[in-house]
Amino acid sequence: MKPAKFTYYAPETVAEIIALLGRYGDDARPLAGGQSLVPLMNMRVARPAVLVDLNRCKALDAVSDDDGTLVLGPMVRQSGGERSELVRRLCPLLAQTLRFTGPRAVRNRATIGGSLAHADPVAELPGAALALDATFVIEGANGRRTLKPDAFFVGQLTTAIEPGEFLREIRIPKAAANTVSAFIESGARQEGVAIGGVAAQITLAGEVCQDIRLAAIGVGSGPVRLTATERTLLGRKLSEALITEAAKAAEDDVDPTTDLHATAHYRKRLTVALAERAIKQALAGPRTN
Amino acid sequence: MAQTYARGPIGQSTLRVEDDPLLKGLGAFVDDVAPPKNTLHLGFVRSPHAHARICSIDTSAAKRLPGVVDVLTGRDLVDLMKPIQVDPDKPGFKITHRLAVTIDKARFVGDTVAVVVAENPYIADDAVEAVAVEYEALPAVVSLDASLAPGAPKIHDYIADNVIYENEQKTEGFDAVFTAAPHKFVRTFRTSRIAVASMEARGCIAIFERGLGTLTFWTSTQVPHIVRHALSEMLGLSDSKIRVIAPDVGGGFGMKAYLYPEELVAAALAIKYRGSFKWVQDRVDDFLTSNHARDQQYKMSYAVSAEGIIKAIRADILVNIGAYASFPMGSSLEANGGPRNMPGPYDFAQFAFRTRAVATNTCPTGAFRGVSAPSTFFSVEGMMDTIAKELGLDPVELRRRNLVTKFPYTNAMGQRYDTGSNGECLDRALELSGYVAYRRSQPASRLLDGKYRGIGVATVTEQTGQGASRYKERGLYRVPGFDAALIKIEPSGKVSAFVSQAAQGQGHLTTWSQIVAQELGVVPSDVTVIQGDTATVPFGSGTFASRGAILAGGAIIRATKIIRDKVKRIAASVLEASATDIEVADGYAFVAGVPKMRVALSDIASIAYSLDARLIPEGEEHGLEAIAHYDPPTSTVSNATHVAFVAVDPATGAIEVERYVVVHDCGRVINPMIVDGQVHGAISNGLGQVLSEALIYDESGQLTTTTLLDYHLPTALDMPTIQMEHMETPSEITLGGFKGVGEGGVIGAVPALAGAVRDALSPLGIEIIRLPLDPPYVLSMIEAAKAKRTN
Ligand SMILES: Cc1cc2nc3c(=O)[nH]c(=O)nc-3n(C[C@H](O)[C@H](O)[C@H](O)COP(=O)(O)OP(=O)(O)OC[C@H]3O[C@@H](n4cnc5c(N)ncnc54)[C@H](O)[C@@H]3O)c2cc1C
Repeated sequence: MKPAKFTYYAPETVAEIIALLGRYGDDARPLAGGQSLVPLMNMRVARPAVLVDLNRCKALDAVSDDDGTLVLGPMVRQSGGERSELVRRLCPLLAQTLRFTGPRAVRNRATIGGSLAHADPVAELPGAALALDATFVIEGANGRRTLKPDAFFVGQLTTAIEPGEFLREIRIPKAAANTVSAFIESGARQEGVAIGGVAAQITLAGEVCQDIRLAAIGVGSGPVRLTATERTLLGRKLSEALITEAAKAAEDDVDPTTDLHATAHYRKRLTVALAERAIKQALAGPRTN
Repeated sequence: MAQTYARGPIGQSTLRVEDDPLLKGLGAFVDDVAPPKNTLHLGFVRSPHAHARICSIDTSAAKRLPGVVDVLTGRDLVDLMKPIQVDPDKPGFKITHRLAVTIDKARFVGDTVAVVVAENPYIADDAVEAVAVEYEALPAVVSLDASLAPGAPKIHDYIADNVIYENEQKTEGFDAVFTAAPHKFVRTFRTSRIAVASMEARGCIAIFERGLGTLTFWTSTQVPHIVRHALSEMLGLSDSKIRVIAPDVGGGFGMKAYLYPEELVAAALAIKYRGSFKWVQDRVDDFLTSNHARDQQYKMSYAVSAEGIIKAIRADILVNIGAYASFPMGSSLEANGGPRNMPGPYDFAQFAFRTRAVATNTCPTGAFRGVSAPSTFFSVEGMMDTIAKELGLDPVELRRRNLVTKFPYTNAMGQRYDTGSNGECLDRALELSGYVAYRRSQPASRLLDGKYRGIGVATVTEQTGQGASRYKERGLYRVPGFDAALIKIEPSGKVSAFVSQAAQGQGHLTTWSQIVAQELGVVPSDVTVIQGDTATVPFGSGTFASRGAILAGGAIIRATKIIRDKVKRIAASVLEASATDIEVADGYAFVAGVPKMRVALSDIASIAYSLDARLIPEGEEHGLEAIAHYDPPTSTVSNATHVAFVAVDPATGAIEVERYVVVHDCGRVINPMIVDGQVHGAISNGLGQVLSEALIYDESGQLTTTTLLDYHLPTALDMPTIQMEHMETPSEITLGGFKGVGEGGVIGAVPALAGAVRDALSPLGIEIIRLPLDPPYVLSMIEAAKAKRTN
């Protein structure tokens, strides 16, 4: 298990990164935490000719509050994001989700940007990003462009990032007042890859659902909005019975496939169960100020 | 009357001397051994086809790569080594042979078709990719059913029906008893193929010392002497010129109790090129080629009296042996493991079985902690739960009515149990777990707080410490069965113990030192244990099959007795007393009852090694060392009761183990903490087999689970808190009263956990007859059961 031959660069500035990515185009891959890319290279499933290591570039791992928008550098480590006071305050759902993105040792190394750029269909962060209505800032030789989740996640392990570009920033709107949220997932083991999961963020006016975003993972090539469930709940008082009823609609929102770990049928049933629980768990938690 | 034993180092939870270096990263595994300069690295070209004729192999592109030294095919290697041949010419067996590098056909995905030799492992991997093999794909058989189907493709031309081993036996009078019994129950149980996935995969370094013409062979193995003997026999270099060293070994669990083709190739090339060759396996290759286990089916038929007494059992057992029989355990190991373990703790006289090892186009299978027993007891205890339910009895009551409680006892297979505590372990486990109260308050629906909750109780036995006679009986002629210890009191008075066992994490350095210390009257920290190196340790079998404590313990007790007697004689001469009056304790030999009349062991050692003014007494040989061998008369049986509590999520099918109780008896305990660790670890193996682990071949014979993302090993987070107690019923047939403990935990965990799920889901009419119980499978059973109800 040794990678095929590659050339390694460790640029220290964004300009150098963009220059290297531009020069090598399709042959180059950014290296973030390496927790997905390095095993793939060792198995020779991935064989980039050039690795552009982002770890030396200090500009990429900042967390800031840009006037009510949480701004994350792509190199923010997953465990760092989970611990960040700013993240917890502005986007509790992100901190909640980061507890589930892998074993602690992996999260100490793996980055938020790496997980989003990797776009694994059972990865938690793309689900959270969809529920949080994140904005992806992509940068290349031609400057910056921004994408919303539905345009960013193109398919299994595929995003809209083009050769020569990289994920420069993730921007997430601050959770509105009276917002509750939860992330929950299920699998064969406590700390393994999940079979499915649901991220929920709900803004309340009293007991009434004023805004709701639900996203499921493990049910498609990327994260999927549970719009039918959302529609059933929007503008209504969230009773237990209504939530149970609404969660059933999630079956119609997803069109999973059967794979090694679960049948399509199971993934649908799981999504229903987890949607119900995520909503209830969110409602049981604290509201934002 | 059971023997009583003096208190001393044996029985103490001495801290493991292994842990300090391991925790500090100072362990030295094969890959940590510094190989000689110019060591070359091997890469193995594995077949991507489950079954294919090899039409041609083009090595030219690979050979042209800079840094590639050679590329060899099976034809290049065939003259360098004998084929791997293991099973005896005995009824039921088929003599099979395996070429380390196959020539005619590839028989599983991972079968080796060529070997590359390169300057480093990176280039070796490049070269492996560059070898162009032309295959003609043949139809493959993967499952037991497919292999046994009429007209199934043949894995080996000389085995027409793919049945590689078969054994059928029946006790006299079986049919009449079976027919006469009022109740008959039949169920078929299946367990998934699983992987050992030891933390350290396999690997070896073969170093040929040109000047001396000797071979030093570092390998990650449980059986260094068996490997040395096999290398010698198959490669034609005399065993006296081969030194096999197993350094720290990061887990073996039976999977490394074998000689593997890669080891043969590395050693053969070292001899041929008079150089050094290294190979370290990666995880994917480990999944593809290191022996798998427990791909088994049990059709169980029970004849039971009205009172629930077992009258007769018939078992039809199928074992998927994969593409080849492996050296030295052969094709009968798992197949015979089923019937051998089946009588377990229950008293019945009539037993009939047929067991078959069936070849398929999959990775060979073999020993894995408990061999077949976890699957056997999944079936046996599954039958007990089923029969109890059908007869309207509490499952514990049914077990109690059938338990063997009088010892010695001879079971239906003719095997003698010298001592045991089946009833006592059960009673204590029920007490600790609060079984009776739990049952009383348990709702019939099994629904509590929105989850199905159930309890599972398993009473099991573990066959341990088998001696030479047992291996001969079983046709495993290549397993010696005995072990040996060479003990030296060194000139300083400190002790070295060279033991033929080879640990893979069991803590031998600690436990053997405790036994030596007890027998020689010293402290364990004065004893250094040396193992795993054939140049220094005497010939013996190695470490597998829960045999270490018994075999090494016996050999140490015998060897130390010889030394102790000599110490007493020398002390007697120094103290001018009679040797029969001398006792040894706390580092001194002294006159019994007169502790002031004493001489330090270090002084006796000085005399024995002639480093003192005093001459050794006349008639004594110099030195203070002894070697002894131990071969237990048969095997001895440990027993345990496991109680598991689980919760099944009705919406997701996910299972959580909420509580776990085990009461365990492995005879005289050497180190309670290490026994705890053995049982804990083994329970985690059982939890994996029951809840999540499965190696899955698709229909074409591709292994789809080749990483730890896809193969679901449990982690510490999946483990319940385990409440454990030990009972100590010493064996009366082993020296020291020890019984084995390595495998019992998994043997009990599999049926207890499966039984708890069975109990939780019993209101739905669900039977647990297949493993693993992963969430999608569990949910599908729940949904099917509910659909049936509403129809
Ligand atoms: C044992 C283990 C368990 C795990 N469990 C989980 C889990 O439960 N859930 C989960 O979601 N993940 C899990 N992972 C995956 C882990 O979280 C991944 O590492 C993560 O998804 C990728 O982050 P990274 O920083 O390591 O990225 P890398 O591995 O360095 O990169 C991943 C991919 O993204 C690209 N990339 C990285 N950064 C950028 C960027 N800024 N712009 C453009 N492209 C970029 C790389 O080129 C590469 O293709 C696990 C990993 C391990 C080893």
